[in-house]
Amino acid sequence: MVTSPSPDSPTPASRRLSAARALWRVLAGRAARFAAGAHQTWRRSLQLRVVTITLVASSLLVGGFAYLIADKLTNILLENAETDVLLRLQNGSDYASKQFNLYSQPQEAQLQDTIDGTVNYLAGGDPAQTSGVVVAITADSFAGFIEPRTSPDVQVRPLISPELRASVAAGNVAHQVRTGTLDGERTKYLVYGSPVPTRFGQLELYYLVPLTRQDATAADARATVVATGVALVLLLGLLAALVTRLVVTPVRVAARTAQRLSAGLLDQRMVVNGEDDLALLAASFNQMATNLQRQILRLEEMSRLQRRFTSDVSHELRTPLTTVRMAADLIFAERDEFDPAVARSAELLQAELDRFEELLTDLLEISRFDAGFAMLDSEPTDLVPVVHRVTERLAGLAERVGVAIELDLPESPVIAEVDPRRVERVLRNLVGNAVEHGEAKPVRITLGVDQSAVAITVRDHGVGLKPGEEKLVFNRFWRADPSRARQTGGTGLGLSISLEDARLHGGWLEAWGAPGQGAQFRLTLPARAGDRLTTSPLRLVPADATLPFGGPRSGGPLAIGPGSDVGALAIGPAEPGDRAEVAP
Amino acid sequence: MRNELTLRRRLLTALVAGALLPAALVGCGIPDRTEVQVDGRGPAGEPGTLNGSGSQPPTRSATEDPKQFITEYLDAAAGEREQAYDRVKKFIAKEAQGRLPKKKQSSEVELTVVRLLESPEARLLTNEGNWEVTVRVQQVGVLRADGTLDKPTAPETEYEFKLRRADPGSQGLVITNLPNVLLLSVTALRQYYGTHTIYFWNSDQSQLVPDWRYLPNAVPVERRVTEVVRWLAGGPSEWLAPGVTRVPDGTAPINNATGSDQRWEVNLTMPVADDDRLAKFATQLAWSLPDLEGQLDLKIQNQKRRTIDLEQERAVHPLYPNLRVPERYCVYDGAIHPLAIGSEPVGTVPVDADANRNVVSAALSRAGDEVLAALVVTRSDQKQRLMVGTGPGPVTEFHSSAHVYRSIGRPIWLRSSDRQHPSGLVVADGTLYRFDGAAGMSPLAGMSRAVTAVAASLDGHRIALIMGGALYVAPVSVDGGETNVGTPRPLTTRLTKLTAVDWYADNQLVFAGNDGRQPAIYQTSVDGAVETPLIRDTSAPVSHLAAYPGGPSGPLPSFSYMYQATVAYRNNPVGTKIERSQVRDVADGAKQSDPSVPFFFY
Repeated sequence: MVTSPSPDSPTPASRRLSAARALWRVLAGRAARFAAGAHQTWRRSLQLRVVTITLVASSLLVGGFAYLIADKLTNILLENAETDVLLRLQNGSDYASKQFNLYSQPQEAQLQDTIDGTVNYLAGGDPAQTSGVVVAITADSFAGFIEPRTSPDVQVRPLISPELRASVAAGNVAHQVRTGTLDGERTKYLVYGSPVPTRFGQLELYYLVPLTRQDATAADARATVVATGVALVLLLGLLAALVTRLVVTPVRVAARTAQRLSAGLLDQRMVVNGEDDLALLAASFNQMATNLQRQILRLEEMSRLQRRFTSDVSHELRTPLTTVRMAADLIFAERDEFDPAVARSAELLQAELDRFEELLTDLLEISRFDAGFAMLDSEPTDLVPVVHRVTERLAGLAERVGVAIELDLPESPVIAEVDPRRVERVLRNLVGNAVEHGEAKPVRITLGVDQSAVAITVRDHGVGLKPGEEKLVFNRFWRADPSRARQTGGTGLGLSISLEDARLHGGWLEAWGAPGQGAQFRLTLPARAGDRLTTSPLRLVPADATLPFGGPRSGGPLAIGPGSDVGALAIGPAEPGDRAEVAP
Repeated sequence: MRNELTLRRRLLTALVAGALLPAALVGCGIPDRTEVQVDGRGPAGEPGTLNGSGSQPPTRSATEDPKQFITEYLDAAAGEREQAYDRVKKFIAKEAQGRLPKKKQSSEVELTVVRLLESPEARLLTNEGNWEVTVRVQQVGVLRADGTLDKPTAPETEYEFKLRRADPGSQGLVITNLPNVLLLSVTALRQYYGTHTIYFWNSDQSQLVPDWRYLPNAVPVERRVTEVVRWLAGGPSEWLAPGVTRVPDGTAPINNATGSDQRWEVNLTMPVADDDRLAKFATQLAWSLPDLEGQLDLKIQNQKRRTIDLEQERAVHPLYPNLRVPERYCVYDGAIHPLAIGSEPVGTVPVDADANRNVVSAALSRAGDEVLAALVVTRSDQKQRLMVGTGPGPVTEFHSSAHVYRSIGRPIWLRSSDRQHPSGLVVADGTLYRFDGAAGMSPLAGMSRAVTAVAASLDGHRIALIMGGALYVAPVSVDGGETNVGTPRPLTTRLTKLTAVDWYADNQLVFAGNDGRQPAIYQTSVDGAVETPLIRDTSAPVSHLAAYPGGPSGPLPSFSYMYQATVAYRNNPVGTKIERSQVRDVADGAKQSDPSVPFFFY
């Protein structure tokens, strides 16, 4: 009676199954890790690759040769044995045939004696001295009359395969190598069979010759060849490793030197040993490093001179400008008394002097940044009043161009360790730009905060930016439309200075824009000075921005397919038709 | 990191080297098993039968005649020994087959050879076809596996068989009761067996002695060589053994002798096979295979040691080297006289006339250039004595035997004996004596009954005796000049009261006796099996019989004999009286008488 296990208790089989699965997972994980490690090592080590390739190639080559040699040797041994046995077999068959030709009927009882005698004679008489050769005469066609005889008397039937028997019975001299046990030890035998014609029909003569000696010789030869081959392969591998090491070591040194060079240690040089190719490499490398060093120093010097020139020019211009300014202020104050045309000129002079002064200030600021003199003066500051201040200061301008400034500020104070003067300058610049390019549409300022950072975005709905201009806007004196005259205050350096200010804080200043959808700038600053930024509390791309293709229809599927460029994907609303859907 | 790299490298090296090389090399050892590869066609045989004479013994016929049936049964065991049992069993009802002697190894099968004295008598037991058949027989001998017919062992003179109808489904009769021996009739022996003479050397290897064998005719000619070699290795017939030497102990054929195109090959094991032994064996073999021509390779343990040309061997080593054309003599008027018959050569009496007186019977023999003469002479007191003389003829010097006897039979010379010590045999007063060149007579022991006649074969190592009216043969051995006679072997004959015997051929005896109604002369083989009447009625008992056993010689036809039944007769044609006119060198004043005791001198 068989009781089946209750269905809710896990059967041993299922337990085993789950254990096996766990083991498999562990093993697979290890294997994958090992494979990954091996792959990484493979990619990193030239020496490993060279040695491996050498080993594989030489193994194949040596293995091939070894196979050929061993195979040839075995064949020769086997052929020799076959030739010997064939000769014996032919003689034996002749002899047996002569002996049996005296009988014309298989029933004659002396025939059996003759078969016995013949087998013994062919086997050499004394079984102790026959070196294991077994001779057998069988009579498949006369099974009832003639008993098969074997000398020495062992059971050879299993060693003579039916195929061989059939072939010999068909009148062929045939042979086969078989393995079997005749005298207690499993031995390979060369089984040779020949028909023995008699007057009453055909008998079969078999020689079973042990191949022990040949096998041992072949094994010896094989061992020698394998040992030689392995030694050769190892030697080649060692050689490859040595040679590669000879090449790789200087290359590694060169690589390290290059790394140091690129890290700014320009006086690093390689050691030149000898006059070979590697020495040439080292010498060339050193020469290159020297040239680079010289060039870099020259360029640095030039850059320093240029910056100094800018700074000097700005300073030198300031003194005459102050004089011109005072004179212009005087003329401007007295403009009502002048001819209207002159008065208009005085106004223009005044305005351009303002711009000139701003430009000069910005240039000085930029040259300070370039010279690395800009210092951050951070203090915990509530950013909400800063935003309010900037908005108030630009309210006039906004009113003039008909742009409404909307604020989206948290109700609680947003405290961050920043330099308030610089943040305010950045904000003023961003909001000013937004108002200026706002095309009478509202500008929205959003202040966001999280645990590690604060962010301020300024969104306008003007002409927006073309693709690629997000980066260009921060270039000095960059202009979206060069033909457009500079009407309003911008000097062309504002965003550059803002970017430098943001960088000085360890923050980001980024731009997003799309043609016809306006632009958005985002300033992200770490909440504590010196922290690294990882994320921003606010999105760079505004939520109301549409996708390039206009967005999917409400509830409609998206199609993802090959794009126009090679390797690009195109995303768009799906066409009705054949499709595969991915359910959410 | 560096260690790990090195480790990985080593691991990889080991993997590559360890996997590739052995993987490649494993395939190139001697495989455990291969396909069958054919090297070509093997030798093809030529089918066909061998040229044996092919007369096979009869199988059970459908005869309803019980006498015929039993006669056939007595033939059935003939032929190849191995199937004798099977052939015989077919005659026997299933329930009676257990009565046959158990089947033995073929080399131990013995057939009891019997001579049917008259045709079987049949008696109907019931009306359902049950018969009782009685066969009166004479035991002739035991046919052994080696072809020798040994002396009879069974005492039976009558065998009884019971027959019944064969089981439904087959015709004829079957035997239900039978004697517990394998029987063979003499007629079957004659019909289904061939006879072969093989030769053994005498003790000093100077003379070949014939031995007589039977071989079934069914055995093909090609196998006879093998059989002969086996016989030679197996030794002589039992009765002959004391007179001859065997081949060296341990001599045995290795497998069959094979041959083709007049070239034969005999492979033997022979201990101490020196050249002398091999030469002797070769001669022995050449004479034992008289029909064979061509070359014969004698191999000892597979090594070819000697090649002989059989014809040449026989020519160089004749069986009887000193045999001359025989001359006929007789005793006429108390003296030896030559007989002139037809164109046969007529000799002169090789005995000095002084000694050639009062002769009763005589024996003359040649030994090289010498003549051996033994005369039985009558003294004045009617006693007889033996006179022996040797020397180049005519023999002048005679020695007389020390004793005198009432009656001395015809003496004989043993031809093979030592030249320096010639010897002969003679019967005197019922005792067999040997005598030497100086007429020294010594009785030979071992004769159970009174000996009445003695005759020697041409080889001088076999004698025929008549003891107590029965025929015997016995071997003669000559050892150191001393002649000895071995145990006589009885021969079965139809004749009784035998009176005279002589050798008729190598293996044939001619003898005289009574067949129950009248005196007759019969011929028989040396084993007594094949017996033929020569003269059925000699009208008077034969007192003397002399034959020339050497075969045809000069104008003398083979199987020549002379006898005395009151008067002297010769054969060719049979029963020709020897006339007085045929006696030569008769002195004018000689008394008129009939020629008596004719004999051959050779």
